[in-house]
Amino acid sequence: METDAIPPEVHEQIDSADLVVGLIAEFDSQTVAQFYNALRALPDPLRIAVVDNDPAAAKTPPNPNAGETESTEAAKNQATVFHLASPWTKPEGNAPIMLRMAAAYQSVFELADKLQARGCCVIASGLERIAQGWAWQLAQPLFQDNIDLVLPHYARRKFEGLLNNGIIAPLLRTLYGKRINNPMGPDFAVSQRLLQRVLAATGGENSNGKRRHPLASLTSTALCENLQVVEVHCGPRIYPPVDWTGLSSILADVLGPIFLDMERKAPCWQRTRVAASVRAIGEPVVLDKDAGVIETARMVESFQLGNRELQEIWGLVLPPSSLFELRKLARLPLEQFHMPDELWVRIVYDFALAHRLRTISRDHLLRSMTPLYLAWVASYAQDLKASGVTSAERRLERLSLAYEAGKSYLVSRWRWPDRFNP
Amino acid sequence: MWQQVKQALVDSTTHFLTRFASLLPGLAALIVALFLSTILAWILAAIARRLLTSLHFDERLGRWGFASLAEWSPMNSPTHLVSRSLATLVLLSGFLIGIAAFDFEWTYLLVQSIFAYLPNVLAAFLVLFVGNLVARFVARSVLIGAVNLNLQHARFLSIGVKWLVIVLTVAMALDHLKIAPGVVELAFGILFGGIVFSLALAVGLGSKEFVTKSLERDGKKAAGEPRSEPVEGDPLRHL
Repeated sequence: METDAIPPEVHEQIDSADLVVGLIAEFDSQTVAQFYNALRALPDPLRIAVVDNDPAAAKTPPNPNAGETESTEAAKNQATVFHLASPWTKPEGNAPIMLRMAAAYQSVFELADKLQARGCCVIASGLERIAQGWAWQLAQPLFQDNIDLVLPHYARRKFEGLLNNGIIAPLLRTLYGKRINNPMGPDFAVSQRLLQRVLAATGGENSNGKRRHPLASLTSTALCENLQVVEVHCGPRIYPPVDWTGLSSILADVLGPIFLDMERKAPCWQRTRVAASVRAIGEPVVLDKDAGVIETARMVESFQLGNRELQEIWGLVLPPSSLFELRKLARLPLEQFHMPDELWVRIVYDFALAHRLRTISRDHLLRSMTPLYLAWVASYAQDLKASGVTSAERRLERLSLAYEAGKSYLVSRWRWPDRFNP
Repeated sequence: MWQQVKQALVDSTTHFLTRFASLLPGLAALIVALFLSTILAWILAAIARRLLTSLHFDERLGRWGFASLAEWSPMNSPTHLVSRSLATLVLLSGFLIGIAAFDFEWTYLLVQSIFAYLPNVLAAFLVLFVGNLVARFVARSVLIGAVNLNLQHARFLSIGVKWLVIVLTVAMALDHLKIAPGVVELAFGILFGGIVFSLALAVGLGSKEFVTKSLERDGKKAAGEPRSEPVEGDPLRHL
């Protein structure tokens, strides 16, 4: 394990902890202070190390009951909270978001491993209930039920987390056989056992000389190693606004590590047949209907432009039957625009396969998927324009079933890419 | 008088036959060299063809973005192009070896100058090959980027950028070959400038709206506002 990533002041303050909490998201000082207080109020006498980027938190005395000087019974039974300076550097403006996040996750994991923490919890997104000890909700099952991975189940609006709902969640559910809603968090808690396995898997470099993304291999490692996974209903998540000009970079940064991990774990996911549900803790939160108008015309135009100009690239990735269906789709008027789930599923599988085969440059491949993804989003938005959240759940379940039905296609193409090409 | 004519004729015939006889070993060597190089070329071409066919070279080349190479190739097969080029190269080498056997000063100089020029030819080929790869990679990047930015002239931009790189590459290759350097410089300047000018016009006129939006976005970014372009009330969230 690398020790260079651990700053020297960490050893001066603390040499071990029960739980390491990484605050990767940027919160205002007041929220961070509330967060510390909520952790201190925990009834368990745990040693908790909080790692964050907030300089104000470092200046204020974060731990009135730290050390051995407190002698009251109440203080003995309460958690001891330490503040650690973040081992990752403040993100540079133009660095890819996933790359920045990967480095931060890796640093928190390495720190937790160094401190021999029994668990590690990371909070990377804005959460409405963070100040009320939300981190403990995630970490609690690690200590009380010996769970290895606690993932969030966000209360979602129908047009939120589309990349997760359209690709990541159904794909990982199909591959590894567990119905997990947010397999890539980004907020989660992880046990020491799983942490060490993820570090072992992501510590080395891949064939491109890049480190693997710890988030991409988190759920897959837990499921392939038959470790315990639960979900926690944790209310709504605050999503970052859409950066339309950077959408292709986001797709490439998110899907690249997933496809890479899929390649490494092919022997595991080819054995899995059916998807089972995982235990969920807490009560689901139902949100109001989405406000605002979805402008599908622009997304359909993007798809039509891609269909016109990117045939040469898609032709290297997709089989003729998919290309034919895409051409038909591009000619449909906006009000009839609908991408069948089966077509979308095959597109995702074919891109995963092309990524493995390095048919073209991997960056080009993933970026050229953007118009297809927008076509799926437009089709999904058209389907759900007038319906509520429950119909969105049904719609996504139908999509997941299409992913599962198409798994035999993926396995066949994965095993015999040249021979099986309908 | 008749004796002198006869003597001159005999001398000239002897001289001619002597010179011709001195040529014969060289000629025989040339024929042998050509014969051997033909056999070697045939064997090497067959091996290369079989090897490339087993490696699915034609399909791979298509995937790497060199599909147009098939159009220039005999029987539309780059495998045939490579194997025949190899055979031609071996034949040419055999011919040069045979020529060198003539033990004349001019053949020696010819072979020497050809071999001295060979590194330039190889360097030019290398420059062309690498330039072609770079041109295709950059063209594909521009095409995908422009489509994702919703630019209607994506294909035109991509082709323009590709030709920029190709023109630069060809000029560099010709410079290596030392073929009409003055003309190449002038032609390169005109062509390169022309392509840049037409691309600038295409971007400037065809993408006014996009450029305006980009500038507005940069302005907002400089003022500390988030770098995004949400539609009013857009509830879509991807990540």
